[in-house]
Amino acid sequence: MEEFVASSIRTSIPLALAGVGSLFAVRAGIFHLGIEGLMLASAFAAVGVAHATSSVLLAVGAALAVSALLSLVYWALIDKLGANAIIAGLGLTTACIGGTAYFLDAIFDRRGRLDSPVGLPRPIRSAEDGLGAYVSELSILGWLTPVLVFIAWMILRRSRLGLRITAVGTYSYGAQAAGVQEQRVRLQAMLLTSIGAALAGTELALGGLSAFSEGMTNGRGFIALAAALFGLMHPLGTAAAAVFFGAAEAVGVVTQIQGFDLLPRPFILMIPFVLTIAAVTASAIVRKRTSAPKEETNIA
Amino acid sequence: MNRWAGELAGRLLTVVVAFGLAFGLFALSGFDVGSIASGVLEGSLLGTGAVSNTIRWTIPLCLIGLGIAVSFRAGEFNIGAQGQMLIGSLLAVWVALEWNGPKFAVITLATVLAVLGGAAWSGVAGWLKVRAQADEVITTLMLNFVALQLVQWVTTGPLKDVATSGDSASTSRIDRSLRVQGSGEISIEIVALTALVAIGVWLLLERSRLGLHVSYVGGESSAAAWQGLPIARVQLISYLVAGALAGLTGAVEVFGPAGRVVTGATPLIGFTALIVTVVASYKVAGTVVSALFFGGLQAAILYLPIVSDVPVSGLRIVEGLVAMLITARVAVFLRRRRSASACSEASRHEASPEASSEMADAAEVR
Repeated sequence: MEEFVASSIRTSIPLALAGVGSLFAVRAGIFHLGIEGLMLASAFAAVGVAHATSSVLLAVGAALAVSALLSLVYWALIDKLGANAIIAGLGLTTACIGGTAYFLDAIFDRRGRLDSPVGLPRPIRSAEDGLGAYVSELSILGWLTPVLVFIAWMILRRSRLGLRITAVGTYSYGAQAAGVQEQRVRLQAMLLTSIGAALAGTELALGGLSAFSEGMTNGRGFIALAAALFGLMHPLGTAAAAVFFGAAEAVGVVTQIQGFDLLPRPFILMIPFVLTIAAVTASAIVRKRTSAPKEETNIA
Repeated sequence: MNRWAGELAGRLLTVVVAFGLAFGLFALSGFDVGSIASGVLEGSLLGTGAVSNTIRWTIPLCLIGLGIAVSFRAGEFNIGAQGQMLIGSLLAVWVALEWNGPKFAVITLATVLAVLGGAAWSGVAGWLKVRAQADEVITTLMLNFVALQLVQWVTTGPLKDVATSGDSASTSRIDRSLRVQGSGEISIEIVALTALVAIGVWLLLERSRLGLHVSYVGGESSAAAWQGLPIARVQLISYLVAGALAGLTGAVEVFGPAGRVVTGATPLIGFTALIVTVVASYKVAGTVVSALFFGGLQAAILYLPIVSDVPVSGLRIVEGLVAMLITARVAVFLRRRRSASACSEASRHEASPEASSEMADAAEVR
């Protein structure tokens, strides 16, 4: 049981960081399919710099910088060059999958995997056995995640920027009429998202294994987006959804270890995706019922 | 005419820029650019067996891409082709492995089931969209993951090939006598099928009433509503066509070059096909040409490690860059748009090529 709880928490931390980060972009009206790529690129940057300098601080800084830079490019493509956000986002992810593998080979001359001599610090070291042992495995980012979620909530709910982000995403013409500079707000939202993605990538790479391996995000960026939607685009909801998705994965891992199979593991891993579809549909129905019929043409 | 030429030039420019950026990167990291370029040409065009490798990858990209074209024309952002194809493959391999019927009957039944399965998988998302307005980008993306897990289950459980182990689990190979194509050669049947499908989709989109409705619903949906078109039905049909073609591709892979279903090892054809279609602005002939191009690129990606020490993943960057740049319009930037929102609003869901090229035209006039 403790193992299950610990495993779900560990797997949910990167999901929560990326999911809450993605909220800024999604709320600003950009369905950010590039977040998977941002996570992967950050994980690579973090391990690469840690490998070269053995400094955790520089590694985190590199992850943040790479993620922000790529977000800037993505924003310029969408807002300055009118590119389609979804196609460009998928392209960004593809480029990052290719790019990280390429640089792994070109810079470090490695195939598939690069180890880091350092990992994120683990602040709490307690008992050797029981829950304590699992707790001591949590990295500092894991402990900070609840704080970061709370900060994200405050930004979205209480800050001028957060309100503007939501305004731009929900009613663009209204926001413009109120004198909001849309492009700048979207850039700021994108940069906030890049922070979430960078920290998620760092946690993934340096939180447990202290290594980068090709394609290690393995769809987690997309799952984080699903968590954001499943969590009704609210930071707390997103974090809760991330824990739920983490738990679903942990159920899979634990049943595999203990050898009892109620359901084959793939079916358990399917649950979050099916539930996301259900949640998106349900929220769409609720929205349709509660809002006055728009001049939408799809009613027919 | 002018507009077509302009658009074509823009698209070629994007591809050239993407290659330029990637090759610049290769040069900066000290690889011999000349040998990479000749490797790409050899792998896709000039080497022995290169053309058949190119065609091997062109066929799935083309079949899936044509379906996506129908869907995108209807204004539906169905990005679930990967999952729909996997469902088709699973059904096809299931029939082929479990039923010892006559060859023709097995292939026919498997293909029909694959087509229906793909259409159903896509139809779920379509039905949720037209009934409940559930965002299709999300539902189709999620259905991809569900399909991926189903493949995981089938390849590690019911149809597991006992010979494989580790991460890349796979089903057993289907019986050799059922295959219409080995892994090395080109099958006339499959090429003919692809050509038929291309002609069929062209007739559907360009010469049929339904095709007109599809473009109308996707382009001018409020006008279509005023005309009293059955919008929901047209949209749903676009999902079914896209899913059916992706499912068909799954069957083609099983009876053609792949011969089985493998977890984790297949390149993400469904996503590349998306790029293929967008590059072609949802045109049928354009999709065929662009599928040939990306098929060649895929063949080159698989060939390059044999002749050069450049990491294979390098060419994936080209693919990503093309996707990032293809919908971007330099003209948009030059024109200094009055309102950023009007465009991004339009481009969030339907990157309607018409709208973009109109904008390009406006820029040209200036």
